[in-house]
Amino acid sequence: SSAKDAKSTSGDDDSRDIVQQKTQEEILFHEETIDLGGDEFESEGNETVSEDSNNFVDKLNEQMMESVIISDSPNNSEDDTGELGCLQEIVDQMEAKDNQKTQAEAHKEEFLSNESETEHEETPKDISEIGTDDQASLKEDSIQEAVKEEPKLGNNVPVETKPNNVDENTPEDQMLSPSTTKPSSEAEPIPVCTIFSQANNANSQPQLFLPDGFEPQMVKSPSFSSIIETPVKYNPQVVQPSPSLSKFFGDPVNTNTLASDFFDSFTTSNFISVSNPNASSSVPEQMSSLSNGGDGSSSNPTFPVQNGRPEAGGPPSSLEITQSPKPFSQIQAVFAGSDDPFATALNMSELDRRNDAWIPSEETRNVLISVATQQYSTVFIDKENLTMPGLKFDNIQGDAVKDLMLRFLGEQAAVKRQVLNANSVEQSFVGLKQLISSKNWRAAVDLCGRLLTAHGQGYKKSGLPASHTTDSLQLWFVRLALLVKLDLFHNAEMEFEPFGNLDQPDLYYEYYPNVYPGRKGSMVPFSMRILHAELPQYLGNPQESLDRLHSMKIICAKILENLEQGLAEDGSMTNITQENRQASVQLWRSRLGRVMYSMANCLLMMKDYVLAVDAYHSVIKYYPQQEPQLLSGIGRIFLQIGDIKTAEKYFQNVEKVTHKLDGLQSQIMVLMNRAFLHLGQNNFAEAHRFFTEVLKIDSSNAVANNNAAVCLLYLGKLKDSLRQLEGMVQQDPQHYLHESVLFNLTTMYELESSRSMQKKQALLEAVAVKEGDSFNTQCLKLG
Amino acid sequence: LIFAVMRLTKPTLFTNIPVTCEERDLPGNLFNQLMKDDPSTVKGAETLMLGEMLTLPQNFGNIFLGETFSSYISVHNDSNQVVKDILVKADLQTSSQRLNLSASSAAVAELKPDCCIDDVIHHEVKEIGTHILVCAVSYTTQTGEKMYFRKFFKFQVLKPLDVKTKFYNAETDEVFLEAQIQNITTSPMFMEKVSLEPSMMYNVAELNTVDTAGESESTFGTRTYLQPMDTRQYLYCLKPKQEFAEKAGVIKGVTVIGKLDIVWKTNLGERGRLQTSQLQRMAPGYGDVRLSLETIPDTVNLEEPFDITCKITNCSERTMDLVLEMCNTNSIHWCGVSGRQLGKLHPSSSLHLALTLLSSVQGLQSVSGLRLTDTFLKRTYEYDDIAQVCVVSSEIKQS
Repeated sequence: SSAKDAKSTSGDDDSRDIVQQKTQEEILFHEETIDLGGDEFESEGNETVSEDSNNFVDKLNEQMMESVIISDSPNNSEDDTGELGCLQEIVDQMEAKDNQKTQAEAHKEEFLSNESETEHEETPKDISEIGTDDQASLKEDSIQEAVKEEPKLGNNVPVETKPNNVDENTPEDQMLSPSTTKPSSEAEPIPVCTIFSQANNANSQPQLFLPDGFEPQMVKSPSFSSIIETPVKYNPQVVQPSPSLSKFFGDPVNTNTLASDFFDSFTTSNFISVSNPNASSSVPEQMSSLSNGGDGSSSNPTFPVQNGRPEAGGPPSSLEITQSPKPFSQIQAVFAGSDDPFATALNMSELDRRNDAWIPSEETRNVLISVATQQYSTVFIDKENLTMPGLKFDNIQGDAVKDLMLRFLGEQAAVKRQVLNANSVEQSFVGLKQLISSKNWRAAVDLCGRLLTAHGQGYKKSGLPASHTTDSLQLWFVRLALLVKLDLFHNAEMEFEPFGNLDQPDLYYEYYPNVYPGRKGSMVPFSMRILHAELPQYLGNPQESLDRLHSMKIICAKILENLEQGLAEDGSMTNITQENRQASVQLWRSRLGRVMYSMANCLLMMKDYVLAVDAYHSVIKYYPQQEPQLLSGIGRIFLQIGDIKTAEKYFQNVEKVTHKLDGLQSQIMVLMNRAFLHLGQNNFAEAHRFFTEVLKIDSSNAVANNNAAVCLLYLGKLKDSLRQLEGMVQQDPQHYLHESVLFNLTTMYELESSRSMQKKQALLEAVAVKEGDSFNTQCLKLG
Repeated sequence: LIFAVMRLTKPTLFTNIPVTCEERDLPGNLFNQLMKDDPSTVKGAETLMLGEMLTLPQNFGNIFLGETFSSYISVHNDSNQVVKDILVKADLQTSSQRLNLSASSAAVAELKPDCCIDDVIHHEVKEIGTHILVCAVSYTTQTGEKMYFRKFFKFQVLKPLDVKTKFYNAETDEVFLEAQIQNITTSPMFMEKVSLEPSMMYNVAELNTVDTAGESESTFGTRTYLQPMDTRQYLYCLKPKQEFAEKAGVIKGVTVIGKLDIVWKTNLGERGRLQTSQLQRMAPGYGDVRLSLETIPDTVNLEEPFDITCKITNCSERTMDLVLEMCNTNSIHWCGVSGRQLGKLHPSSSLHLALTLLSSVQGLQSVSGLRLTDTFLKRTYEYDDIAQVCVVSSEIKQS
């Protein structure tokens, strides 16, 4: 009986208090002890224990917290208790309990027997399956559930990565040009590589991190390295462009066949703003040498950086370099012109400086300074301070839509499904963009991988010295961003790992004074930093995300401060015209705003609503044009919590703000907010009315359409609701085949009839026509 | 006929994962364009995670005592025949009772193929434990055959809140109630109302807001909600109503203080309401004669007399004839005559008594040593530790 429970729980509390007394320093989180002095408390605790056996009434007089019986809801609790009421209740409840038991047993029997006669198996929405649907990724669910989901994710990853890790010789590999396959085939006999392949295998288990694979190497002290180092490991080919590559560079014609021609896009793509006109013809050549250099052995923990040489990570041992100075000197000659400091200063464009500015950590700055100052001597950099990324899995290609079609619609239908894959587009940035915009993100990830492989940062290259260019980092950014977009967070995390905190010296232009003469700042795109900072929150570690975002915020603020003080972004004394300064302030303000946005999103994910709302408020400062949207968003946050009044306040503010500007969008926003407010007040009919209002203004508004349909369902109009959703999907499948819409639709199909399977399959066919390989098939609930 | 049931918890808002890039990055504005094209993002503020798209509940979820259980009941004719006289009945079987939840008990005359009967039922959950939704459908087929089937949906109702209370009895007959309310659900909970409904004997003052510049501000600040496992402490002050305060004898033994009424809201205004059982308190026993302090200074000078006022109340059912004795303790010295007659005191009446005393010891001193003797019954009541007073040396007080 609950009364009895109450007593025993209060008893528990007592003992807990005593425990607390004993382990004084320990603060139990749930124990909000009331402000009684410690001494007083002790006696209190003792008393209660001794009196525990006394009668219930005595306890009421004690200073301890009592558990209170929450009787029932108010409507049910007319039975006001008199003096004896409490005791009576206990008896009643105990009796009730006994009755209950027998009754429940009886019910169970009834339940079982009836179950067999009804078609139990075809009720997917059966309420009796309480809470078994763990797969659901409802964000509003509890923290506990979020935690539960984490291992779940972990389980998902091996499923996806294992096969990829295992089959190394996929068709893709064979498709690669000789130039790209060569390095890897040469890398194979090097014994070090086996270590890394082990590391990679281990990595397929999500909890094992790569550093474990690294450790044995990092232990070695630098002094040993020169002794251990054997020239055999070194690959003299490093400095010579492989035949196919040199052929490619010699030949400007776009052959458009193999991965090798990615360089074409690198040099012609307009976003690459490299820089050194003197060296322009030799930049690619050098890059090829860099990428091959990446294959050198890596058991050496330190790497010499020689300023006279083009490549930092390339030659792994100083011994080796001195032995083979010839090829380098050739390249050096090409860069002769760049030694002129004035020429280099001019080369660095205003735009580059503004965009690439970043403030490195003290340690990194020191390395960069020494690289810049020690022109012809070697700078040793700890291996762990270098960035050595590599693909962690070859190929996540696959088309879940097609797989489902094979399962449910048969081979013939599946054959009709044609999506672009990494082979069917140009092996360049152009092809990559094509894949992204056609929503074939898996193929795009794959293509990024190929292009990176051509850069010497391919599969199994993690942990091997690599050279970085603007392009390689952009490719990494795109690949990682797409992995996040595909919800493949673990994969993204694995590949992000070698980048550390994106502050290693070799991620700055200053590290490559010959490749990027005069250029300063970070090679890592700002968006990649954002991505890097946001990632942990999707893996159940929002605190880490916040930490990363905070350090980004500090740097952005510092850059803005520098600009205000008349300095360049990085704090150096550079003359910047007023116009450029203005543009820079604008850029960095918007970047700071972007960081705040991420923070707010992260806090929202952590369900720390108070801080999240504060953060969104500060976002408004940076993006004033988004004020109405943000205020509405805050209002929706309060609705989610259940604080309807505050939500209403925010929605009213939105109406005030939008009052000044008229236009369809703000009108829609106001109506939408009103609808949400009615939803919060459990008035689905009114909510539906306002959503329909929106549709009168903008008949193609997907949100209003969908939300109106949802309201209809709550009003008991399943058929109408279905009609609305189906109409909308048919009207403009390009836009409305959205995960959320389809999810709602399939849910209603399941509710409607036993033919939901057929209807879902019809949806699958529609999806197959319109959607790329990145489509999340879970929303079809066909599994 | 096919029968399906779906619990209608509030829909949720779709959240998306924003991935942005800048103009100069490799994808150009591709990522941003993709987000713009995504119907689930907020137009004009695509980076905002919380969208506007409603999604239907994906699983049964948890249901808590005091919440409203809503469910969609759909009977669909999957056959190609018209069926007649369909009667749908939805009952909720709890551990103690069986409730009929169907909106209408009238039979539907006929149901054409591919048509359905829809019903949305609501029920405020009033019991903890296993609930079984029993849905029964009876109908007649075209051939005149009577058909009947039932389905059972079982769910557990959980306790949403943990409430603990604690009473403090003040000297002045006031009772302070501390109530700790803990959210033991798994989602944040907005406390819309937590109030104490006092029993007829008391007036209640809520002490959960602070008046600053005419505006009452919640002591809980801007945090209007309780995270899972969070506890909030509410404080109430109960004053006995005048008519009961006068008759001191009435408030004796176990008394009913009142009950807490709690209304909360969760996702999109999903509402829940609970009341506690009557909170009871053991009034401090005053015996036959109650001596309470009306006035006493908080700080007094060492070895200087000061005055206190006592109230002596006859809590018994008979008239008393009282004699006051004053016994000095180590520190407290009474001034005046000990053993004086106070005269007759009728039941439930009281008298005020001014006394003078001084302390010879510094520090916090307990006022003790009063003895009342009822000459009728020759019974002596001892009053020690009536109050504390802080005794300081006169120099300190002056400075």
